[in-house]
Amino acid sequence: MTDSPQEEGLVLNGLTKILGGRVIIDNLHLVVKKGEMVSLLGPSGCGKTTTLRMIAGFLIPDKGDIVLNGKDVTTIGPEKRPSAMVFQNYALWPHMTVFGNVAYPLKVRKLAKPEIEKRVHEALAMVNLMHHKDSRPGQISGGEQQRVALARALVQEPDILLLDEPLSNLDAKLRVKVREDIRDLQRRLGITTVIVTHDQDEALSISDRIAVMNNGKIEQFSTPQELYDRPETEYVANFIGSLNHIQGGFADGQVISGTEVVGIRPEDVHFSTEQVPGSYPATVQLVVPRGHFCEVYLKRADVELHAFISLDVPLAGTSGFVKINKALIYKDGKLVRVA
Amino acid sequence: MTSTKTDVVAEGLGAAKAPRLSVVGFLMALPPLLLVLFFVGLPVLIAFTFSLGFTTGPNRVLSMIGQEIHKKDQWWGTFSAYKDVIHDPRFAGDMRTTLAITFISTTLVLLMALGIGIYQRMIGGRLASVMTALTLVPLFVPVVIAAWAIHTFYAGDGFMRSFFSQFGIEFPTVTSTVSAIAIGTIWTSLPFAILMVTSGLQSIPDALIETAQDAGAGFIRIIRTVLIPLAITPIVIAGTFTAIGILGSFTIPLFLGPNQPTMLGVEISNFFGAYNRPQQSIVMAFIVFASASGIALIYIWANVRSAKQSGRI
Amino acid sequence: MAKREKSRAKSSSPVVKALLGIFMLAMAFFILGPLLWLAIHAFVTNWTYPNLYPDGWTWHWWTQIFANSALEESIRNSLIISPIVVVLSMIICLPAAYAAGRMNYVGRKTFLIGLFAANSFPKIGLFASIATLYYALNLMGTIVGVIIIQLLGTIIYMTWIPAAAFASVPRNLEEAARDAGASKFRVFRTITLRMAMPGILVAIVMSFLASFDEAQGTYLVGAPAIYTMPTEMYALVENYPIQIAAVFSLLLAFPSVLLIGLARKHIVGGQLAEGFQIK
Ligand SMILES: Nc1ncnc2c1ncn2[C@@H]1O[C@H](COP(=O)(O)OP(=O)(O)OP(=O)(O)O)[C@@H](O)[C@H]1O
Ligand SMILES: [Mg+2]
Repeated sequence: MTDSPQEEGLVLNGLTKILGGRVIIDNLHLVVKKGEMVSLLGPSGCGKTTTLRMIAGFLIPDKGDIVLNGKDVTTIGPEKRPSAMVFQNYALWPHMTVFGNVAYPLKVRKLAKPEIEKRVHEALAMVNLMHHKDSRPGQISGGEQQRVALARALVQEPDILLLDEPLSNLDAKLRVKVREDIRDLQRRLGITTVIVTHDQDEALSISDRIAVMNNGKIEQFSTPQELYDRPETEYVANFIGSLNHIQGGFADGQVISGTEVVGIRPEDVHFSTEQVPGSYPATVQLVVPRGHFCEVYLKRADVELHAFISLDVPLAGTSGFVKINKALIYKDGKLVRVA
Repeated sequence: MTSTKTDVVAEGLGAAKAPRLSVVGFLMALPPLLLVLFFVGLPVLIAFTFSLGFTTGPNRVLSMIGQEIHKKDQWWGTFSAYKDVIHDPRFAGDMRTTLAITFISTTLVLLMALGIGIYQRMIGGRLASVMTALTLVPLFVPVVIAAWAIHTFYAGDGFMRSFFSQFGIEFPTVTSTVSAIAIGTIWTSLPFAILMVTSGLQSIPDALIETAQDAGAGFIRIIRTVLIPLAITPIVIAGTFTAIGILGSFTIPLFLGPNQPTMLGVEISNFFGAYNRPQQSIVMAFIVFASASGIALIYIWANVRSAKQSGRI
Repeated sequence: MAKREKSRAKSSSPVVKALLGIFMLAMAFFILGPLLWLAIHAFVTNWTYPNLYPDGWTWHWWTQIFANSALEESIRNSLIISPIVVVLSMIICLPAAYAAGRMNYVGRKTFLIGLFAANSFPKIGLFASIATLYYALNLMGTIVGVIIIQLLGTIIYMTWIPAAAFASVPRNLEEAARDAGASKFRVFRTITLRMAMPGILVAIVMSFLASFDEAQGTYLVGAPAIYTMPTEMYALVENYPIQIAAVFSLLLAFPSVLLIGLARKHIVGGQLAEGFQIK
């Protein structure tokens, strides 16, 4: 969604990694644009961390190439790679102060003292942690540690920023705030970023594009909106958002018998007491409040559906009409059409 | 485009989940192993052949100097030296003394360590810290000094007798009795046992104790059902190290014990030097080693058990 | 918190307090009594049984010690040999400890248990058996021979404790440093070694004490050519008045107290205990 020149920042070309005799990453392709923020989203064990560790240089792929800003870095060690990683548990060095942690990459690069001081201060100011400069990692909160780890990565001015579930150790409220902060910083610095997560909300809200992974492969790579509107596989449709999942076929706004799979988003199920074209009679079975909307279970002659309704929520037992605004039809797990 | 690359970087860093023993790692591990193999393994092996009656080669000199040397009568050797030792009434007394002291001292050391450890874990406070610090003092003191200090303290003209004689009480002379050996071994073994046990108990989370209290468990019940089971590995390690240390002790029984019966450590030295019966001396060393190995098995079992529980193997 | 208070309250009844106090005093007496009794002897002229006070005070024994060249030489020997032993032990064992810390569980276990098994052969039996080898290698009565004997006693400390310390350095702290651009060696120096330092320090102290206090092997191998402080102590006990032995004890205890004082925090902090559990 960035409007910057569509230059390639990171290219993963046919990555394959075998660990413990199993193929963990299987011929994976991915092209991330410069300045883009991409999420790797997928269930536990699908290979997100493994992919990220290959990008960072901790693992060398058995097959395939990694190209960063036009340069092949496949076999370059992590210390020479222009990438910076934020670890899931932050990996802050307990024997150094916050300042020492952030200054470390610069000391390694043999920068002059005043320069180091200046850049560390900038980085710490960026994450609002100047007041904790002399604290030890053990003395600050989880959210603050997370920001130190971020500062330590950013101070390196990397070509690519890698984040492995950076928010999973934070509480729900903080998570939302920190992810906004990360997004802001990323936009401001225009830094190419790959973030691993298994939280779809997180992925949908902060990424330019999302790569949904399954079993070491990328199932779909597109913008959050597209991913939601046109999930290319049944797997992705199930993984992102909620879905009515019906075996059969679809014609004239009705579910018919068939061999395909019909996926209907609960938001695309419309209930009303008046009949409109394409709607059919239905009764309300059950209403479950879900906060700012209600989940409503509806029974129609052809199908039972659940719907998300936020205005004019009907009572259980009400009769009315249901219209299906959109249906995704899959054959052999692949999207064949949208009705 | 596709090429096959090796895991050079992954080694030691990325492959943390299943590290392999690299060649470099093996070479690094080698020096202490070689040193031990050459200066412990080899002499022990030669000594073992000597105990079986192999009196030629490296054992030739000892066989010529020593008395009551048995030469092998089978291709594998002979058990005559072992029979000698086992039928020696001196040995029977020494073995009993050694085992009794090992058992009694280890038990007492463990009880003291548990008492202090549990006190510190459940009640805590300054007194507990002072007490723990106090019990670490023997770690500061070389064994020779400890032995000599205890020797003079409990001797015929030592403090204990001097003190009690002020009240007209005749305190027994403990020095040069088996009890003095027990006192000495307890004194020197305390710090290590206390360090192991207290650190094991301290690492039990408060929450586990508190839920037990919530469930209505009393002080003793918590100790029995929560503290001891959770700290059993360090407790067993403390016990086995203490027992093995006491089993092979030399200086303490030498300074504090009676001439007869004494511990096998002293007797090994006596047989080797004063009595000039090297073969019997070596046999005793192997008997002590066998006992220590039995105890070491308990140690290994405890480690494997804790490794299994935490999913390391 | 309330629960802790409860348990605290329960056991602070006067009877329990008194019992604890008595136990504590008994422990203090048991541990410190003999040491104090011996230490006082270093400053007394004579002590007639069964008096509780010595006959008089003097520095006489201290001047005697320093006038005795044999004693002085043993002090010098100890102060030269033990540091050499510790440094050699570090050179030989620390790389191995690092490798062991990074091996898989089975490899590490085999390595450490192997060294442990060698260590549980009764020392006195080993020293008796080692004579043959020493004669063959011409090591009897030499400094090298004494150093090797003392080295053997330090190996268990210098491998086990640092191995545990290296093993417990979280791997991703090292990875973070690699990622920050540090070379492998720099990562080792600034992260791994630095974080394993408390364990190594404890190992150094324990090794020094093991070497400094070693008497049996040193006596068998070194005497009569080389005496260290502990082996000299054997002779003292037999041939001199108790006061001389007392003075010598204080001298002998001095380095230990100093060293342990330095490493006390880490020893009590669990580094020693950690080192003896194979993780
Ligand atoms: N060194 C290794 N040896 C053998 N198998 C491994 C190794 N590292 C990872 N795996 C396996 O590879 C698979 C993918 O692991 P990875 O850590 O990439 O998953 P992930 O997608 O990050 O999962 P999570 O969300 O739980 O972090 C897992 O099944 C894991 O067991
Ligand atoms: Mg992961």
